[in-house]
Amino acid sequence: MTLAHRALFTWFIVLVFLILLCLRLDPRTTWNWFVTFTPLWFFDCILIIYVIIKFIRKWRNLNRLADLLLLYKWNIAGVLLTITSQVMICLTLEYPQQIPIYFTMTPLCLLLTTAIVYVGSRLGKREGWLI
Amino acid sequence: MFKLSELVRWLGLTEFEILINLCGLLVFTITLSFKIAGTFNNILPELMSDWFTIFSPLFFIDICNAYFCVIVGIRMYLDSDNKRKALHRFMWSTYFLVLIAIFKYLLCLKLSGRTGLEYSEVFSPIFVLLQLVAVRACQLPNSI
Repeated sequence: MTLAHRALFTWFIVLVFLILLCLRLDPRTTWNWFVTFTPLWFFDCILIIYVIIKFIRKWRNLNRLADLLLLYKWNIAGVLLTITSQVMICLTLEYPQQIPIYFTMTPLCLLLTTAIVYVGSRLGKREGWLI
Repeated sequence: MFKLSELVRWLGLTEFEILINLCGLLVFTITLSFKIAGTFNNILPELMSDWFTIFSPLFFIDICNAYFCVIVGIRMYLDSDNKRKALHRFMWSTYFLVLIAIFKYLLCLKLSGRTGLEYSEVFSPIFVLLQLVAVRACQLPNSI
């Protein structure tokens, strides 16, 4: 898939999710929050398939498994933390007062921290990164 | 799914702006946790009850990004031969920042109960922004 296709696919998923979110937040529907997050689950499935395909394409023999895990550490961490964050948010919204908010926010904070470290490390390697 | 360089190309934000946004979001997530958990309700009752205080990290990063965009816009306009490109970049950053800021402001009003707007109306700046982002996605070259 080219960048344009991937971008339009992501755009469509976000659009559908926002429409469902608006419908759920306004008192028009009483859907389960896991149903509201359906577009994001679909996107996560695609993400997992995408990472697995990337992984398999590089994976020639078992000896390199550790190297591969190290090579794709950002991808794996990103996908796992994203899915965990979404599950925790859905659980908290569906069953309020039952899960402490700090448990809900921990995966999200970890995800954001990972993203900050990743972007920061990329930025640090570049010269003239302001423009 | 996207490399950082591809996101930069698609969204028209620099890595530095993305980094600032991520930092602001992290601080916002922490303050939101405190607000929901009611940790500082006894110590700072007035501050913690106001949604604008909770959203202040996001407004702060908007101000930082606006300052950054103005500086980059002026430098690009003066240094570059292609003034049109500099203007395009400045206009895109302005649209992006203004729409996001309006959304946050409306969301704050809605959460504070100071407005009778529905959530679909509160989200309208985001829908407008999504349209602009879709246009940018269509303009991306097919060769990448």
